[in-house]
Amino acid sequence: MKNSFSSGIGISLAAALILLFVLASLPPWLIAAADANTVKIDASAAQPRQVEDATVQAIQRDYGRAWQTLSQALSENRANLLNSSFVGIANDKLTRAVNEQRKEGLRRKYIDKSHKVEIVFYSAEGSALQLRDTVQIEIQLLDGDKVVHTENATRHYIALMTPTENSWKVRVFEAVPGA
Amino acid sequence: MNTRSKLLLLSVCVLVSATLCAQSLKVPDRVTAGTSISIPTSGSGEATLYLFGPAHVAKRKVQLGQSIELAGDDLRDAGHYTVVLKGGGADSSTSFFVTASKVDDVAFLARPSRVPASRPGVITGSAFTFDAYQNLELQPTPVTFTLSVEGAPEIKRTETTKNGVAWTRLDSGKKVGAAKFVASAGDASTTRVVQQVAADPCNIRMKAQRTNRGAIEVVTDPIRDCSGNAVPDGTIVTFTSVDASGKSTVDSRIKRGIARAELPSSNNALISVASGVVMGNEIHWGGKQ
Repeated sequence: MKNSFSSGIGISLAAALILLFVLASLPPWLIAAADANTVKIDASAAQPRQVEDATVQAIQRDYGRAWQTLSQALSENRANLLNSSFVGIANDKLTRAVNEQRKEGLRRKYIDKSHKVEIVFYSAEGSALQLRDTVQIEIQLLDGDKVVHTENATRHYIALMTPTENSWKVRVFEAVPGA
Repeated sequence: MNTRSKLLLLSVCVLVSATLCAQSLKVPDRVTAGTSISIPTSGSGEATLYLFGPAHVAKRKVQLGQSIELAGDDLRDAGHYTVVLKGGGADSSTSFFVTASKVDDVAFLARPSRVPASRPGVITGSAFTFDAYQNLELQPTPVTFTLSVEGAPEIKRTETTKNGVAWTRLDSGKKVGAAKFVASAGDASTTRVVQQVAADPCNIRMKAQRTNRGAIEVVTDPIRDCSGNAVPDGTIVTFTSVDASGKSTVDSRIKRGIARAELPSSNNALISVASGVVMGNEIHWGGKQ
């Protein structure tokens, strides 16, 4: 009885260690991506239409997911990933960035630590939503696997999102100077 | 001087020389999209330049001591750019923003596409201003919204963009027809069409007469909305007759501006007419009108 109890603890400990090892070996963007709480949304100043609670939740989910997609696409140089979260101008520009990175053998890693998002525009008919995002971010620029530049920064972004069949997608995405 | 002091002095010398050798890349804080810039460098030898922009990246060899030229095509997309210089003992980096150039395009969302005439605040328009490189123009820019239908005065309103967006809410015009809804900023403009249709009938007047077969024929006057527009053909008008034998209802569609129906014969009936929520006059058939 005692032996089986001890061996149970041993197995649990081993499983925990394996899990810890797996988590430690995950790329940082994947760990950050799992934390939905990094995106805080304030919709109180939205004009001309008030943003419904369900829409706030959808934006939190879909904008957060867009950053995961962006991080992964730029880190792995996989432009096809972008289609799940970006459309129109944003998709065109980011696709160009990924393709040029791949051509030059460059990559960049975005580790977004927190997003303070303010919804500033929500069209009267509900077909377009604009947000300003203040991001705490770590950026690594790589030539192959060699880091050529790294920085921790606060960046400001403007995004225009439009609804699609079952989610909101980013149509315009630009880094802007701080206020 | 002991060995430790020599090492310390050597470290300080290396640090000072590295500091002196480090490039100080001077770039403007903000560059207008599509504008070329020149970044002076110092020193000699070769280094690698990395440019990371929102949609464009570049890697190329540069000669230290000469200026680095970034062409307008390298800087078309608004956003944050990082320039990194590696090698030749000149590791350095800097960053700057590219901002949109002048407005060249207006993306315009207009709703709805079909609207009743003379309704307050029923038409909405949102305009997004972009430059020639599809960058959102974030500088406050006046956008003029006009709504016009032939033969009626134009409705005009000017709003200033905030974060590249301007919006408006307008009343629909009094006259039916295809209204041109235009958003313009600078030399750029975009047109949408809003079909203004007659609103609900303002009032319905009908007359009744006996047919050769003894039935009651009811005919309306031309049916118009409160602005005088003819209510579209096909709109349902309901005639109801109530007499001692019960209630008869006939739905009729407006044809060439009027509606007509034939009700069962009766010597004493109360006939009424309605379309949607609008009631018309009543006729006491067989009694006083």
